[in-house]
Amino acid sequence: MSMKAFGPQFLERIYREKVVLSLSSVLGFIFCWYLITDVLGLIPALFLPSPEKVFFTIYEKIFIPVGQSTLFGHVGVSLLRILVGTTIALCLAIPLGILMGWYEDLDSVMTPIIEVLRPIPPIAWIPLAILWFGIGLGSKVFIIGIGVFFPTLINTYMGVKFVDPILIKAAQTLGAKDKDVLREVILPASVPLIVAGIRIGIGLGMMCLVAAEMVAASSGLGFLIMLGGDNLKPELSITGMILIGIMGLLADTLILAVEKKVVYWKKESQNG
Amino acid sequence: MQQDKIFADHVSVAYEKDDESLLAVDDVTLSIQEGEFVVIVGPSGCGKTTFMNTLAGLVKPIRGKVFMDGKQITGPSAERGVVFQQFALFPWKTVFENVEFGLKYRGIPKDERREIVRKYIRMVKLEGFENSFPHELSGGMKQRVAIARVYANMPQILLMDEPFGALDAQTRTIMQEDLSEMFMMEKRTVVFITHSVDEAIYLGDRVIIMTARPGKFKKIINVTADCLIPNRRNLGYDDVVNLKAFRDLKRELWGLIKAEIVEKRIL
Repeated sequence: MSMKAFGPQFLERIYREKVVLSLSSVLGFIFCWYLITDVLGLIPALFLPSPEKVFFTIYEKIFIPVGQSTLFGHVGVSLLRILVGTTIALCLAIPLGILMGWYEDLDSVMTPIIEVLRPIPPIAWIPLAILWFGIGLGSKVFIIGIGVFFPTLINTYMGVKFVDPILIKAAQTLGAKDKDVLREVILPASVPLIVAGIRIGIGLGMMCLVAAEMVAASSGLGFLIMLGGDNLKPELSITGMILIGIMGLLADTLILAVEKKVVYWKKESQNG
Repeated sequence: MQQDKIFADHVSVAYEKDDESLLAVDDVTLSIQEGEFVVIVGPSGCGKTTFMNTLAGLVKPIRGKVFMDGKQITGPSAERGVVFQQFALFPWKTVFENVEFGLKYRGIPKDERREIVRKYIRMVKLEGFENSFPHELSGGMKQRVAIARVYANMPQILLMDEPFGALDAQTRTIMQEDLSEMFMMEKRTVVFITHSVDEAIYLGDRVIIMTARPGKFKKIINVTADCLIPNRRNLGYDDVVNLKAFRDLKRELWGLIKAEIVEKRIL
Protein backbone atom coordinates (compact mmCIF):
# COMPACT_ATOMS: atom_id res chain seq x y z
CA MET A 1 0.00 0.00 0.00
CA SER A 2 1.40 3.42 -0.86
CA MET A 3 2.05 6.08 1.78
CA LYS A 4 -0.46 8.23 -0.03
CA ALA A 5 -3.26 6.11 1.36
CA PHE A 6 -2.61 7.70 4.75
CA GLY A 7 -2.37 11.26 3.49
CA PRO A 8 -5.02 13.97 3.54
CA GLN A 9 -7.03 12.20 0.85
CA PHE A 10 -7.37 9.24 3.16
CA LEU A 11 -8.69 11.41 6.00
CA GLU A 12 -10.99 13.17 3.59
CA ARG A 13 -12.40 9.85 2.47
CA ILE A 14 -13.06 8.78 6.05
CA TYR A 15 -14.79 12.08 6.67
CA ARG A 16 -16.88 11.71 3.56
CA GLU A 17 -17.80 8.17 4.54
CA LYS A 18 -18.84 9.43 7.98
CA VAL A 19 -21.12 12.05 6.48
CA VAL A 20 -22.62 9.44 4.17
CA LEU A 21 -23.19 7.12 7.13
CA SER A 22 -24.85 9.80 9.25
CA LEU A 23 -27.04 10.87 6.37
CA SER A 24 -28.10 7.32 5.59
CA SER A 25 -29.01 6.70 9.22
CA VAL A 26 -31.40 9.65 9.17
CA LEU A 27 -32.89 8.54 5.86
CA GLY A 28 -33.08 4.95 7.08
CA PHE A 29 -34.98 6.09 10.16
CA ILE A 30 -37.51 7.95 8.05
CA PHE A 31 -37.77 4.97 5.70
CA CYS A 32 -38.58 2.58 8.58
CA TRP A 33 -41.16 5.02 9.81
CA TYR A 34 -42.62 5.11 6.29
CA LEU A 35 -42.54 1.32 6.14
CA ILE A 36 -44.44 0.63 9.36
CA THR A 37 -47.06 3.33 8.74
CA ASP A 38 -47.78 3.66 5.02
CA VAL A 39 -46.55 0.42 3.49
CA LEU A 40 -47.26 -2.22 6.12
CA GLY A 41 -49.94 -0.28 8.02
CA LEU A 42 -48.76 -1.75 11.33
CA ILE A 43 -49.77 1.35 13.31
CA PRO A 44 -53.00 3.26 12.65
CA ALA A 45 -52.51 6.84 11.43
CA LEU A 46 -54.31 8.09 14.51
CA PHE A 47 -51.44 6.86 16.70
CA LEU A 48 -48.54 7.50 14.38
CA PRO A 49 -49.04 9.51 11.21
CA SER A 50 -46.84 8.72 8.24
CA PRO A 51 -43.76 10.85 7.51
CA GLU A 52 -45.24 12.40 4.41
CA LYS A 53 -48.26 13.49 6.40
CA VAL A 54 -46.01 15.18 8.93
CA PHE A 55 -43.92 16.86 6.24
CA PHE A 56 -47.08 18.03 4.53
CA THR A 57 -48.33 19.43 7.85
CA ILE A 58 -45.08 21.34 8.32
CA TYR A 59 -45.36 22.72 4.80
CA GLU A 60 -49.01 23.58 5.18
CA LYS A 61 -48.67 25.31 8.55
CA ILE A 62 -46.05 27.64 7.17
CA PHE A 63 -48.90 29.32 5.31
CA ILE A 64 -52.03 28.40 7.23
CA PRO A 65 -52.21 29.65 10.82
CA VAL A 66 -52.67 27.25 13.74
CA GLY A 67 -54.29 29.07 16.60
CA GLN A 68 -53.14 32.70 16.41
CA SER A 69 -50.20 32.33 14.05
CA THR A 70 -48.41 30.30 11.40
CA LEU A 71 -45.56 27.91 12.12
CA PHE A 72 -42.97 30.67 11.83
CA GLY A 73 -44.92 32.67 14.38
CA HIS A 74 -44.82 29.78 16.86
CA VAL A 75 -41.13 29.17 16.29
CA GLY A 76 -40.48 32.90 16.65
CA VAL A 77 -42.39 33.21 19.91
CA SER A 78 -40.60 30.17 21.39
CA LEU A 79 -37.28 31.56 20.27
CA LEU A 80 -38.04 34.94 21.84
CA ARG A 81 -38.95 33.28 25.16
CA ILE A 82 -35.82 31.19 25.28
CA LEU A 83 -33.60 34.11 24.29
CA VAL A 84 -35.01 36.46 26.92
CA GLY A 85 -35.03 33.77 29.62
CA THR A 86 -31.49 32.65 28.86
CA THR A 87 -30.12 36.18 28.67
CA ILE A 88 -31.58 37.18 32.03
CA ALA A 89 -30.44 33.92 33.66
CA LEU A 90 -26.87 34.28 32.34
CA CYS A 91 -26.67 37.90 33.45
CA LEU A 92 -27.51 36.81 36.98
CA ALA A 93 -25.82 33.40 37.20
CA ILE A 94 -22.36 34.26 35.85
CA PRO A 95 -21.64 37.30 38.08
CA LEU A 96 -23.12 35.54 41.12
CA GLY A 97 -21.06 32.40 40.43
CA ILE A 98 -17.88 34.45 40.11
CA LEU A 99 -18.56 36.36 43.34
CA MET A 100 -19.43 33.17 45.23
CA GLY A 101 -16.27 31.48 44.02
CA TRP A 102 -14.17 34.49 44.96
CA TYR A 103 -15.65 35.63 48.30
CA GLU A 104 -15.85 32.82 50.82
CA ASP A 105 -18.31 34.68 53.05
CA LEU A 106 -20.78 35.11 50.20
CA ASP A 107 -20.28 31.43 49.41
CA SER A 108 -21.25 30.48 52.97
CA VAL A 109 -24.31 32.74 52.87
CA MET A 110 -25.63 31.67 49.46
CA THR A 111 -24.74 27.98 49.24
CA PRO A 112 -27.39 26.63 51.66
CA ILE A 113 -30.16 28.54 49.86
CA ILE A 114 -28.96 27.42 46.46
CA GLU A 115 -28.56 23.81 47.50
CA VAL A 116 -32.21 23.73 48.61
CA LEU A 117 -33.60 25.51 45.53
CA ARG A 118 -31.45 23.70 42.98
CA PRO A 119 -33.01 20.20 43.19
CA ILE A 120 -36.54 21.59 42.68
CA PRO A 121 -37.50 20.78 39.06
CA PRO A 122 -38.04 24.06 37.17
CA ILE A 123 -41.52 22.96 36.10
CA ALA A 124 -42.56 22.82 39.77
CA TRP A 125 -42.34 26.62 39.63
CA ILE A 126 -45.07 26.84 36.95
CA PRO A 127 -48.02 27.47 39.30
CA LEU A 128 -46.14 30.20 41.17
CA ALA A 129 -44.81 31.66 37.92
CA ILE A 130 -48.36 31.98 36.57
CA LEU A 131 -49.51 33.48 39.86
CA TRP A 132 -46.70 36.03 39.84
CA PHE A 133 -46.28 36.81 36.16
CA GLY A 134 -49.58 35.81 34.52
CA ILE A 135 -49.72 33.65 31.40
CA GLY A 136 -47.77 36.06 29.19
CA LEU A 137 -44.09 36.22 28.37
CA GLY A 138 -43.11 36.72 32.02
CA SER A 139 -44.01 33.28 33.35
CA LYS A 140 -42.25 31.40 30.51
CA VAL A 141 -39.16 33.54 30.83
CA PHE A 142 -39.13 32.83 34.55
CA ILE A 143 -39.37 29.04 34.10
CA ILE A 144 -36.73 28.95 31.36
CA GLY A 145 -34.56 31.28 33.42
CA ILE A 146 -34.65 28.87 36.36
CA GLY A 147 -33.65 26.03 34.05
CA VAL A 148 -30.66 27.94 32.68
CA PHE A 149 -29.69 29.61 35.95
CA PHE A 150 -28.59 26.71 38.16
CA PRO A 151 -26.29 24.75 35.84
CA THR A 152 -24.62 27.99 34.76
CA LEU A 153 -24.24 29.19 38.35
CA ILE A 154 -22.79 25.91 39.60
CA ASN A 155 -20.33 25.62 36.71
CA THR A 156 -19.20 29.22 37.01
CA TYR A 157 -18.69 28.75 40.74
CA MET A 158 -16.69 25.56 40.19
CA GLY A 159 -14.71 27.21 37.41
CA VAL A 160 -13.63 30.01 39.73
CA LYS A 161 -13.12 27.78 42.75
CA PHE A 162 -10.95 25.20 41.02
CA VAL A 163 -8.55 27.35 39.04
CA ASP A 164 -5.13 25.69 39.23
CA PRO A 165 -3.59 27.31 42.34
CA ILE A 166 -0.17 27.35 40.70
CA LEU A 167 -1.44 29.94 38.19
CA ILE A 168 -2.60 32.16 41.05
CA LYS A 169 0.76 31.79 42.78
CA ALA A 170 2.55 32.59 39.54
CA ALA A 171 0.50 35.76 39.09
CA GLN A 172 1.03 36.85 42.70
CA THR A 173 4.80 36.38 42.54
CA LEU A 174 4.83 38.42 39.33
CA GLY A 175 3.28 41.32 41.22
CA ALA A 176 -0.44 40.91 40.51
CA LYS A 177 -2.79 42.16 43.24
CA ASP A 178 -6.07 40.44 44.12
CA LYS A 179 -8.15 42.33 41.56
CA ASP A 180 -5.55 41.63 38.85
CA VAL A 181 -5.60 37.94 39.73
CA LEU A 182 -9.38 37.90 39.41
CA ARG A 183 -9.39 39.70 36.07
CA GLU A 184 -6.29 38.21 34.46
CA VAL A 185 -6.25 34.67 35.84
CA ILE A 186 -9.50 33.53 37.48
CA LEU A 187 -11.85 34.79 34.78
CA PRO A 188 -10.04 33.46 31.70
CA ALA A 189 -9.24 30.19 33.46
CA SER A 190 -12.89 29.56 34.30
CA VAL A 191 -14.28 30.32 30.84
CA PRO A 192 -14.27 26.67 29.67
CA LEU A 193 -16.39 25.54 32.61
CA ILE A 194 -18.70 28.56 32.29
CA VAL A 195 -19.35 27.77 28.64
CA ALA A 196 -19.97 24.11 29.50
CA GLY A 197 -22.47 25.28 32.12
CA ILE A 198 -24.27 27.48 29.62
CA ARG A 199 -24.53 24.51 27.28
CA ILE A 200 -26.14 22.32 29.94
CA GLY A 201 -28.32 25.25 31.02
CA ILE A 202 -29.70 25.92 27.56
CA GLY A 203 -30.50 22.23 27.12
CA LEU A 204 -32.49 22.32 30.33
CA GLY A 205 -34.01 25.67 29.31
CA MET A 206 -35.45 24.10 26.14
CA MET A 207 -37.18 21.42 28.22
CA CYS A 208 -38.58 24.10 30.50
CA LEU A 209 -39.78 26.07 27.49
CA VAL A 210 -41.86 23.21 26.17
CA ALA A 211 -43.22 22.35 29.61
CA ALA A 212 -44.21 25.96 30.29
CA GLU A 213 -45.83 26.34 26.88
CA MET A 214 -47.79 23.13 27.32
CA VAL A 215 -49.33 24.28 30.57
CA ALA A 216 -50.06 27.91 29.99
CA ALA A 217 -49.73 29.34 26.52
CA SER A 218 -51.70 29.98 23.35
CA SER A 219 -48.64 30.10 21.15
CA GLY A 220 -45.22 28.50 20.79
CA LEU A 221 -44.02 25.01 19.96
CA GLY A 222 -45.10 23.53 23.31
CA PHE A 223 -48.61 24.83 22.67
CA LEU A 224 -48.54 23.21 19.21
CA ILE A 225 -47.53 19.87 20.70
CA MET A 226 -50.33 20.08 23.27
CA LEU A 227 -52.88 21.21 20.69
CA GLY A 228 -52.09 18.18 18.52
CA GLY A 229 -52.87 15.92 21.46
CA ASP A 230 -56.09 17.72 22.40
CA ASN A 231 -57.43 17.66 18.83
CA LEU A 232 -56.27 14.13 18.03
CA LYS A 233 -53.84 15.46 15.43
CA PRO A 234 -50.59 13.69 16.25
CA GLU A 235 -48.96 15.11 13.11
CA LEU A 236 -49.20 18.55 14.72
CA SER A 237 -47.48 17.29 17.89
CA ILE A 238 -44.75 15.65 15.85
CA THR A 239 -44.27 18.88 13.90
CA GLY A 240 -43.65 20.74 17.15
CA MET A 241 -41.32 18.03 18.39
CA ILE A 242 -39.23 18.03 15.22
CA LEU A 243 -38.88 21.80 15.31
CA ILE A 244 -37.85 21.75 18.98
CA GLY A 245 -35.28 19.08 18.12
CA ILE A 246 -33.86 21.19 15.30
CA MET A 247 -33.79 24.28 17.53
CA GLY A 248 -31.88 22.36 20.19
CA LEU A 249 -29.42 21.03 17.65
CA LEU A 250 -28.79 24.50 16.25
CA ALA A 251 -28.36 26.00 19.73
CA ASP A 252 -25.87 23.29 20.66
CA THR A 253 -23.93 23.74 17.41
CA LEU A 254 -23.78 27.47 18.04
CA ILE A 255 -22.46 27.04 21.58
CA LEU A 256 -19.86 24.51 20.46
CA ALA A 257 -18.67 26.98 17.82
CA VAL A 258 -18.46 29.72 20.44
CA GLU A 259 -16.61 27.36 22.78
CA LYS A 260 -14.07 26.54 20.11
CA LYS A 261 -13.54 30.27 19.59
CA VAL A 262 -13.10 31.28 23.24
CA VAL A 263 -11.18 28.28 24.54
CA TYR A 264 -8.78 28.16 21.60
CA TRP A 265 -5.97 27.67 24.11
CA LYS A 266 -7.14 24.44 25.64
CA LYS A 267 -5.60 21.29 24.24
CA GLU A 268 -6.47 18.00 25.94
CA SER A 269 -5.37 18.20 29.57
CA GLN A 270 -2.44 20.46 30.21
CA ASN A 271 -1.55 23.24 32.59
CA GLY A 272 0.46 25.61 30.47
CA MET B 1 29.39 43.94 57.25
CA GLN B 2 27.19 43.72 54.18
CA GLN B 3 23.54 43.07 54.87
CA ASP B 4 22.20 39.64 53.91
CA LYS B 5 20.00 39.60 50.82
CA ILE B 6 17.89 36.90 52.43
CA PHE B 7 18.00 35.94 56.07
CA ALA B 8 15.89 33.06 57.42
CA ASP B 9 15.97 33.18 61.21
CA HIS B 10 15.11 29.89 62.97
CA VAL B 11 12.29 29.15 60.58
CA SER B 12 9.87 26.26 61.06
CA VAL B 13 7.08 25.59 58.57
CA ALA B 14 4.18 23.16 58.85
CA TYR B 15 1.55 22.05 56.39
CA GLU B 16 -1.85 20.44 56.76
CA LYS B 17 -2.39 16.95 55.46
CA ASP B 18 -5.44 14.84 56.24
CA ASP B 19 -6.39 17.14 59.12
CA GLU B 20 -3.02 16.66 60.67
CA SER B 21 -0.27 19.24 60.92
CA LEU B 22 3.08 17.99 59.66
CA LEU B 23 6.34 19.75 60.31
CA ALA B 24 7.98 20.25 56.92
CA VAL B 25 10.89 22.53 57.85
CA ASP B 26 12.40 22.40 61.31
CA ASP B 27 14.29 25.36 62.77
CA VAL B 28 16.32 26.37 59.74
CA THR B 29 18.65 29.38 59.71
CA LEU B 30 20.22 30.60 56.48
CA SER B 31 21.66 33.77 55.03
CA ILE B 32 22.07 34.32 51.32
CA GLN B 33 24.30 37.04 49.88
CA GLU B 34 23.50 39.18 46.87
CA GLY B 35 24.49 37.53 43.58
CA GLU B 36 24.83 34.07 45.06
CA PHE B 37 23.54 30.91 43.40
CA VAL B 38 22.32 28.71 46.24
CA VAL B 39 21.09 25.20 45.56
CA ILE B 40 19.08 23.21 48.08
CA VAL B 41 19.15 19.48 47.48
CA GLY B 42 17.50 16.72 49.47
CA PRO B 43 15.43 13.56 49.33
CA SER B 44 11.86 13.90 48.00
CA GLY B 45 9.36 15.23 50.50
CA CYS B 46 12.08 16.79 52.65
CA GLY B 47 10.44 20.20 52.78
CA LYS B 48 12.69 21.98 50.29
CA THR B 49 9.76 23.21 48.21
CA THR B 50 7.97 24.31 51.39
CA PHE B 51 11.07 26.25 52.42
CA MET B 52 11.24 27.92 49.03
CA ASN B 53 7.55 28.84 49.19
CA THR B 54 8.30 30.46 52.54
CA LEU B 55 11.03 32.57 50.92
CA ALA B 56 8.54 33.50 48.19
CA GLY B 57 6.00 34.60 50.80
CA LEU B 58 3.45 32.04 49.61
CA VAL B 59 3.60 30.15 52.91
CA LYS B 60 3.92 31.58 56.42
CA PRO B 61 6.29 29.98 58.91
CA ILE B 62 4.87 28.79 62.24
CA ARG B 63 8.03 29.91 64.03
CA GLY B 64 10.84 32.23 63.05
CA LYS B 65 10.99 35.00 60.46
CA VAL B 66 12.35 35.52 56.96
CA PHE B 67 13.88 38.83 55.91
CA MET B 68 14.85 40.32 52.58
CA ASP B 69 17.23 43.30 52.80
CA GLY B 70 16.39 43.44 56.50
CA LYS B 71 12.64 43.74 55.91
CA GLN B 72 10.38 40.90 57.00
CA ILE B 73 8.70 38.91 54.21
CA THR B 74 4.94 38.83 54.79
CA GLY B 75 3.52 37.87 51.41
CA PRO B 76 4.32 37.27 47.75
CA SER B 77 6.05 40.08 45.88
CA ALA B 78 7.42 40.77 42.44
CA GLU B 79 10.82 41.23 44.12
CA ARG B 80 11.00 37.47 44.49
CA GLY B 81 10.18 35.78 41.18
CA VAL B 82 9.37 32.08 41.12
CA VAL B 83 9.92 29.46 38.43
CA PHE B 84 7.70 26.45 39.12
CA GLN B 85 8.29 22.84 38.16
CA GLN B 86 4.88 22.76 36.45
CA PHE B 87 5.81 25.84 34.35
CA ALA B 88 2.62 27.66 35.42
CA LEU B 89 2.27 29.57 32.16
CA PHE B 90 -1.06 31.23 31.45
CA PRO B 91 -2.38 28.96 28.69
CA TRP B 92 -4.65 31.61 27.16
CA LYS B 93 -1.77 34.04 26.70
CA THR B 94 0.86 33.93 23.98
CA VAL B 95 4.56 33.58 24.78
CA PHE B 96 4.90 37.35 24.43
CA GLU B 97 1.95 38.07 26.72
CA ASN B 98 3.19 35.60 29.31
CA VAL B 99 6.60 37.25 29.46
CA GLU B 100 4.96 40.68 29.57
CA PHE B 101 2.62 39.74 32.43
CA GLY B 102 4.46 41.19 35.43
CA LEU B 103 5.69 44.32 33.62
CA LYS B 104 2.17 45.73 33.38
CA TYR B 105 1.99 45.91 37.16
CA ARG B 106 5.27 47.78 37.31
CA GLY B 107 3.76 50.64 35.35
CA ILE B 108 6.24 50.32 32.50
CA PRO B 109 5.05 52.01 29.26
CA LYS B 110 4.08 49.76 26.38
CA ASP B 111 7.03 50.52 24.08
CA GLU B 112 9.52 49.87 26.81
CA ARG B 113 7.71 46.67 27.77
CA ARG B 114 8.00 45.39 24.23
CA GLU B 115 11.76 46.00 24.26
CA ILE B 116 12.21 44.16 27.56
CA VAL B 117 10.06 41.22 26.48
CA ARG B 118 11.99 40.90 23.20
CA LYS B 119 15.29 40.98 25.05
CA TYR B 120 14.40 38.14 27.39
CA ILE B 121 12.71 36.03 24.72
CA ARG B 122 16.02 36.35 22.85
CA MET B 123 17.92 35.42 26.00
CA VAL B 124 16.02 32.14 26.36
CA LYS B 125 16.44 31.53 22.60
CA LEU B 126 12.76 31.61 21.69
CA GLU B 127 12.75 34.30 18.98
CA GLY B 128 10.06 33.49 16.48
CA PHE B 129 7.76 31.91 19.07
CA GLU B 130 6.38 35.21 20.43
CA ASN B 131 2.89 34.51 19.14
CA SER B 132 2.75 30.81 20.01
CA PHE B 133 0.51 29.53 22.77
CA PRO B 134 1.92 27.36 25.56
CA HIS B 135 0.12 24.23 24.31
CA GLU B 136 2.08 24.49 21.09
CA LEU B 137 5.45 24.33 22.88
CA SER B 138 7.53 21.45 24.23
CA GLY B 139 8.22 21.15 27.96
CA GLY B 140 11.68 22.67 27.65
CA MET B 141 10.34 25.60 25.66
CA LYS B 142 7.57 26.18 28.19
CA GLN B 143 10.10 26.37 30.97
CA ARG B 144 12.18 28.79 28.89
CA VAL B 145 9.13 31.05 28.66
CA ALA B 146 8.66 30.81 32.44
CA ILE B 147 12.32 31.72 33.00
CA ALA B 148 12.07 34.67 30.59
CA ARG B 149 8.88 35.78 32.34
CA VAL B 150 10.63 35.90 35.69
CA TYR B 151 13.86 37.51 34.45
CA ALA B 152 11.92 40.17 32.51
CA ASN B 153 10.10 41.17 35.67
CA MET B 154 13.45 42.24 37.24
CA PRO B 155 13.09 40.52 40.60
CA GLN B 156 15.93 40.83 43.06
CA ILE B 157 15.76 37.12 43.82
CA LEU B 158 14.92 34.21 41.55
CA LEU B 159 13.42 31.21 43.27
CA MET B 160 13.46 28.07 41.16
CA ASP B 161 11.54 25.04 42.36
CA GLU B 162 12.88 21.98 40.52
CA PRO B 163 12.49 23.88 37.25
CA PHE B 164 13.93 21.08 35.13
CA GLY B 165 12.33 18.23 37.07
CA ALA B 166 9.66 17.60 34.46
CA LEU B 167 12.06 17.60 31.50
CA ASP B 168 13.80 14.72 29.77
CA ALA B 169 17.53 14.20 30.43
CA GLN B 170 18.76 15.71 27.17
CA THR B 171 16.64 18.84 27.39
CA ARG B 172 17.60 19.13 31.03
CA THR B 173 21.35 19.24 30.29
CA ILE B 174 20.88 21.96 27.68
CA MET B 175 18.70 23.96 30.08
CA GLN B 176 21.31 23.68 32.83
CA GLU B 177 24.02 25.03 30.54
CA ASP B 178 21.82 27.85 29.34
CA LEU B 179 20.78 28.76 32.87
CA SER B 180 24.42 28.87 33.99
CA GLU B 181 25.12 31.23 31.09
CA MET B 182 22.11 33.42 31.94
CA PHE B 183 23.26 33.58 35.54
CA MET B 184 26.62 34.96 34.44
CA MET B 185 24.99 37.49 32.10
CA GLU B 186 22.29 38.68 34.49
CA LYS B 187 23.79 38.68 37.94
CA ARG B 188 20.82 37.98 40.19
CA THR B 189 20.53 36.07 43.42
CA VAL B 190 19.18 32.58 42.74
CA VAL B 191 17.76 29.97 45.10
CA PHE B 192 17.39 26.70 43.25
CA ILE B 193 15.69 23.52 44.49
CA THR B 194 16.52 20.12 43.04
CA HIS B 195 16.87 16.49 43.94
CA SER B 196 19.62 15.95 41.39
CA VAL B 197 23.09 15.98 42.93
CA ASP B 198 24.74 16.59 39.54
CA GLU B 199 22.53 19.59 38.89
CA ALA B 200 23.24 20.97 42.35
CA ILE B 201 27.02 20.81 42.00
CA TYR B 202 27.03 22.03 38.40
CA LEU B 203 24.95 25.13 39.16
CA GLY B 204 25.42 26.03 42.81
CA ASP B 205 27.90 28.45 44.35
CA ARG B 206 26.70 26.96 47.57
CA VAL B 207 24.99 23.59 47.91
CA ILE B 208 22.82 22.88 50.94
CA ILE B 209 21.94 19.28 51.79
CA MET B 210 18.63 18.87 53.57
CA THR B 211 17.65 15.99 55.80
CA ALA B 212 14.51 13.95 55.27
CA ARG B 213 11.33 15.43 56.80
CA PRO B 214 11.20 17.40 58.97
CA GLY B 215 13.81 19.19 56.89
CA LYS B 216 16.90 20.59 58.54
CA PHE B 217 20.19 21.58 56.96
CA LYS B 218 22.56 18.64 57.09
CA LYS B 219 25.57 20.18 55.41
CA ILE B 220 26.48 23.30 53.44
CA ILE B 221 29.22 23.08 50.80
CA ASN B 222 30.84 26.21 49.36
CA VAL B 223 31.59 24.99 45.86
CA THR B 224 32.68 28.37 44.51
CA ALA B 225 34.18 30.02 47.59
CA ASP B 226 36.32 27.01 48.45
CA CYS B 227 37.21 26.68 44.76
CA LEU B 228 36.27 23.01 44.76
CA ILE B 229 35.74 22.89 41.01
CA PRO B 230 37.84 25.66 39.43
CA ASN B 231 36.63 27.55 36.40
CA ARG B 232 33.37 25.65 36.35
CA ARG B 233 31.10 28.32 34.85
CA ASN B 234 33.19 28.56 31.70
CA LEU B 235 32.91 24.85 30.95
CA GLY B 236 30.11 22.83 29.38
CA TYR B 237 28.08 20.39 31.43
CA ASP B 238 29.81 17.36 29.97
CA ASP B 239 33.30 18.73 30.77
CA VAL B 240 32.36 19.56 34.34
CA VAL B 241 30.80 16.22 35.25
CA ASN B 242 33.92 14.42 34.02
CA LEU B 243 36.28 16.38 36.29
CA LYS B 244 37.70 14.39 39.18
CA ALA B 245 36.79 17.20 41.57
CA PHE B 246 33.16 16.95 40.42
CA ARG B 247 33.04 13.19 40.85
CA ASP B 248 34.56 13.36 44.34
CA LEU B 249 32.09 15.99 45.43
CA LYS B 250 29.24 14.06 43.91
CA ARG B 251 30.24 10.91 45.78
CA GLU B 252 30.36 12.82 49.05
CA LEU B 253 26.98 14.52 48.55
CA TRP B 254 25.25 11.40 47.32
CA GLY B 255 26.56 9.53 50.37
CA LEU B 256 24.93 12.11 52.64
CA ILE B 257 21.60 11.98 50.84
CA LYS B 258 21.57 8.21 50.53
CA ALA B 259 22.17 7.93 54.27
CA GLU B 260 19.06 10.06 54.86
CA ILE B 261 16.94 7.97 52.53
CA VAL B 262 18.05 4.66 54.04
CA GLU B 263 18.02 5.84 57.65
CA LYS B 264 14.55 7.40 57.53
CA ARG B 265 13.22 4.64 55.27
CA ILE B 266 11.78 6.92 52.60
CA LEU B 267 12.49 4.30 50.00
